[in-house]
Amino acid sequence: MGAAPQQISPDQRVADFRKIFSRAESEVARVIVGHREVVRKMLTALFCGGHILIEGVPGLGKTLMVKAASETLGLSFKRIQFTPDLMPSDIIGTQVLTEAEGHREFQFKEGPIFAHMVLGDEINRATPKTQSAVLEAMEEHQVTVFGTTYILEPPYIVLATQNPIELEGTYPLPEAQMDRFIFKVVMGSPKPDELREILNRTTGTAQNKIQPLFEPSHAPRAIEDLKALVREVMVAEPLERYIIGVIGGCTPGGPGTLPEVSQYLRFGPSPRGAQALILCAKVNALLAGRVSVSYDDIDDAIIPCLRHRLLLNFQAEAESVTAESILEQVIKRLKKPRT
Amino acid sequence: MLCAVAPALTAIALGILLQPIGDATWARYGYSLSPDRANLLSLVLIAAGVAVIVAGAIMAFRAYRRANDFVAAAAELDDLLECNQEIVTFATLANPSTPESSRERRTPLFPILWRRAIALFGGLDIRREFKLEVGEPLKRSSIFAGVVALAMVLATLGLVRAPTPENREAAKLRTIAEEIARTSTSADDTALADNVRKAADALENSKLPPEEKKARLEEAMKQARKAAEKRNNSQSGKNQGNGKSASQNGKGSGNSKGQGNSSGSGSGQGKSGTGSGQNAGGNNSGPGKGGSANNSGKNQGGNGSAKNDKNKSDQNNIELQNELAKAEAQVETANAKNPGPDSQPGNDKNQGGANKPGDKSNQSGTQPDPNKPGDIPKPGANGDRNLPNAGGNPKNNTDMGSNLGDTHLGEMPTSTNAQRFLKPGEKGSTVDIRDARYVMFRLPGAPTTGNGGKTVLDTDRPKATTAYVNAPLAPTRDDAPPDERQLVPPRYRDMIH
Repeated sequence: MGAAPQQISPDQRVADFRKIFSRAESEVARVIVGHREVVRKMLTALFCGGHILIEGVPGLGKTLMVKAASETLGLSFKRIQFTPDLMPSDIIGTQVLTEAEGHREFQFKEGPIFAHMVLGDEINRATPKTQSAVLEAMEEHQVTVFGTTYILEPPYIVLATQNPIELEGTYPLPEAQMDRFIFKVVMGSPKPDELREILNRTTGTAQNKIQPLFEPSHAPRAIEDLKALVREVMVAEPLERYIIGVIGGCTPGGPGTLPEVSQYLRFGPSPRGAQALILCAKVNALLAGRVSVSYDDIDDAIIPCLRHRLLLNFQAEAESVTAESILEQVIKRLKKPRT
Repeated sequence: MLCAVAPALTAIALGILLQPIGDATWARYGYSLSPDRANLLSLVLIAAGVAVIVAGAIMAFRAYRRANDFVAAAAELDDLLECNQEIVTFATLANPSTPESSRERRTPLFPILWRRAIALFGGLDIRREFKLEVGEPLKRSSIFAGVVALAMVLATLGLVRAPTPENREAAKLRTIAEEIARTSTSADDTALADNVRKAADALENSKLPPEEKKARLEEAMKQARKAAEKRNNSQSGKNQGNGKSASQNGKGSGNSKGQGNSSGSGSGQGKSGTGSGQNAGGNNSGPGKGGSANNSGKNQGGNGSAKNDKNKSDQNNIELQNELAKAEAQVETANAKNPGPDSQPGNDKNQGGANKPGDKSNQSGTQPDPNKPGDIPKPGANGDRNLPNAGGNPKNNTDMGSNLGDTHLGEMPTSTNAQRFLKPGEKGSTVDIRDARYVMFRLPGAPTTGNGGKTVLDTDRPKATTAYVNAPLAPTRDDAPPDERQLVPPRYRDMIH
């Protein structure tokens, strides 16, 4: 599993992808009750090479979920608790003066951002300066300290959480930073039967051990192969036009803008939104055993990919119109192109 | 395209056949569209049909272009087979029109897509999936065509109008013209039929002035009289040669009867001097009787089937002359009801000049007839409108003829057009005169004097085969109290007992 793509057939690669994805979901489900959609989106973001923003109240198992995923995939994991006094150097790392063999030198001490999976807990509590320190790492997969650039080893994924309550003293993420997350998923409270299962698992003596899918040394390479497979999935021209239509339809003043969009939105999604849509649709296609994207794959990705990229105006907030409701209207109204 | 054919052809066929359909409707039910409306409707129908065909052709062309588009055709197949856009993706990456760019977009996974697409095509039964469905489109389009036809019927019913007396008269003239043309034996008859058709067209043409219509009708009338005279002369020669005394007697008897009628009418009209419309009617009656007598005589002297044809032609000619005279009267009546701008009340009163001898022998004089109800003036200033104006310009003739009547309040009863009595044996709506206070008859025109006061026979007058018979009047009800309640001022009411 996870062998180089040239050694196995394309069919085998597709089958492996589905198998790994399914097993990863199962392993995470050993420790996380429910939240299957969140787990799926987290893994999808990982295979798309993106980052994910998870919104939910504390205590829902966000940290545990990310940790379980990293253990399953054999990837390194770091957690950063964002606080108002957190400095960029606390995240990225800094030069530390060290003495060795009679002479002193500055040595770079890596921060917690140097891991395959980084959990930024309550990212909106840090100052914008600190938040922006994460930007370069998220987008460029590298950090620069005192003129020296350090590459973050792939695969690299940032999973940021933010608490929708207790907004006093927080610094909401700017749109530019929000746009760098491929998904925004909302983690809801567990259902009663899920809560009972959580209690049974966490308050008893039983230990749920996670079986890693890869050896830690092979895991990065295997994950990168799977990421490459995702990009090999094919998209037809009409579907590309459909995605462009969706983006245009969500952009106020753009071609084919819907009335709701013009009424309630200040800004629409950027091209990153379209990229996210295609990548997510490709993963969906692979999970369905196909090597080409369908309209259903795209529709399934529209809300998680675009909901955080729409900037609502005052009227929408006053009328309690959500980005999700607007996107649902867009999906309903847009006719899939038949050239 | 198939959907568009039925409604379009229906509309075009309706548009083209509207005239014959209108004629048939006219002949059977007596309703017609006015020519301008019929033309407009026909144009609309044809234009709608052509528009539908053009739209269908455009749609068919677009469908053809779409079918020629490789990717679009694949999308159609994709929809048909419900294969999650795998075929359209395959088509995008194997598009023969852009082989280079298609090849560049292929990935190592393309063979899988290829195999899957081939497998999907394997399950495609072209005959089943692309069945030529004729019934369903035709059914759908027939509903549309039905709706269009219903709309057109409703529109036609909305536009249709009852025929005017001129229309009826013109139709009769055309029928007679057809009959004459059918039985014509000479070039004269054919020319006569053509002339009658032209007269009928002129009669219906609302743009023509009444003088023009009348002139055309008179021209046709002259031609018909000439034809009749010619025929009579030739027949007379034959009869004389055969020595059939019964025929001669019959003819003589007919003529004398005609004269008697004519002279009686002439004296009355000389006094009355009523409208020229009445005169025309009167003229018809007189010659008709004479003609009948002639025919009778001829038939007695006839010897063979050729004579029957001859009689038929004579009858046609007589009928033609009758109808032409009626049409002429119709024109005059219509003109009297819609006087021209120069017929100002007061200008032409008492201006109906007497007929000049030899000019129009059938026209009556200008003497007012005291027995005519129309001569009783209305209370008020408009009484002078009832004064006769016969013999003058039809435009100036404001005499309403049968409209005249006596009422206590000065309201004149209005008669309907074309009321006439039925011939014996003829069926149709009768004229209800039970409660009529006045009935006016159009008596035969008087053979007026000419050539120095001598009574001359009017041989040109139309001759009817059957004498007109007046319907009996209702018993007089002079003793019955009037229906109307006369408004009597209160101060005089005590006096009425």
